[in-house]
Amino acid sequence: MSTPVLICDDSSFARKQVRRALPADWDISVSFASNGEEGLTAIKEGKGDVVFLDLTMPVMDGFEVLEAIKVQDLSCLVVVISGDIQPEAMARVKRLGAVDFIKKPVDASRLQQVLADFGIYTG
Amino acid sequence: MNTEHLDEEMRDVFQEIANVAMGRAADLLARLLNNYVVLPIPVVNLLERSELNMALSSLRAVDSVSAVCQGFVGSRISGEALLIFNDTSFQDIAELTEFKGDITPEVELELLMDIANILIGACLKGLAEQLDVSFSQGQPVLLGQHLNLYDLVNNQTGTRKRALTIEIPYRLESRNVDCDLLLLFTEDSLAVLESKVRFMLE
Repeated sequence: MSTPVLICDDSSFARKQVRRALPADWDISVSFASNGEEGLTAIKEGKGDVVFLDLTMPVMDGFEVLEAIKVQDLSCLVVVISGDIQPEAMARVKRLGAVDFIKKPVDASRLQQVLADFGIYTG
Repeated sequence: MNTEHLDEEMRDVFQEIANVAMGRAADLLARLLNNYVVLPIPVVNLLERSELNMALSSLRAVDSVSAVCQGFVGSRISGEALLIFNDTSFQDIAELTEFKGDITPEVELELLMDIANILIGACLKGLAEQLDVSFSQGQPVLLGQHLNLYDLVNNQTGTRKRALTIEIPYRLESRNVDCDLLLLFTEDSLAVLESKVRFMLE
C-alpha cells in the first residue's frame, strides 16, 4: 500500500519544491495543505503518515500543528521544512516531536538522507 | 511582468524567497540579541511610491521612528532596502547588547546602523542567491531619527513610479523590539525579476 504523505506549506511554490525533492521511486500518495489547520484535518483523515511541515503559515502555524499532534496523540512522522533556521526554532520543533529539521530552500539529497536516517524510505 | 497587477503565482514565489531570506537575517539578529525572533509572513505588493505607507502595515503613522535606507543594484535589478525602527525599541536593544550608559541619539544611531547592516545584508544575500543574481550594496544612509512615520513616508515620494515591495515586520518574542524591513524593487527591474522567477518555476 502506498504511504500517505502530506506536504503542508502556505506557498504553492514551496509545496512544489518539496514534491520534486521526494524520491521518484517511493510508493506514496501525496496530499497538500496550505495552512496548519488544513494540515491537521488531513492528518486526522489518514492522509499524512509522513508529514513535511512548514512553520511560518497563516491560520495555524507549524508549531501549533506539532502541539496539536502531540496533545491529540496523532500517529505521524513530521519532518519540518522551514526558513526559520534559528537554533531556538530547531530546538522547539524537536521538543514538540518533529523527527528532523530541513532548512529551506529544500535540498533533495538532504531530504532523502533524512528519510533514510529515520528508516522512512531507504530506497 | 504586468506592472499594473501582480499575479498570484509571482506573489507566491516572491513571498517564499523572502521567507527564506528573512529567516537567514533573523537568525543573525537572534544571535546578536540572544533572543528568539518571531518570523512573520512577508507581505508582497506592487505599489506606487505615493502608496508606500500601505506597505508599512505593521507600524502606525503616529509612531516615532528612525530609519535607514540602503540602495542595491546588480544583474539589471535595482532597488532600496529601508529599515524602520520604532523608537521605543532602542532601550531593549541596548540592554540586549549589554550597552552600558545613556542612550543618546548617537548611541541609537550606532545601534540602528549595526542592525541595518546585519538585516539588510543577510536579506539581500539570501534573495540574490535564490534568484541567482548578485547585488552590490551602496552605503547605508540615515533617513532620520525620531520622525513620525507619516513624515518619513511623505519625504520618500519623489518618484511616481511603481515598485515591487516586500515588507518584513520583525519582532522579538520576549522584548519590546519592533522593526520593519521594506525592500523596494524599481519598476525597471520587474521584467528581469519575472524572468528569474519563471526560471525557478520550471
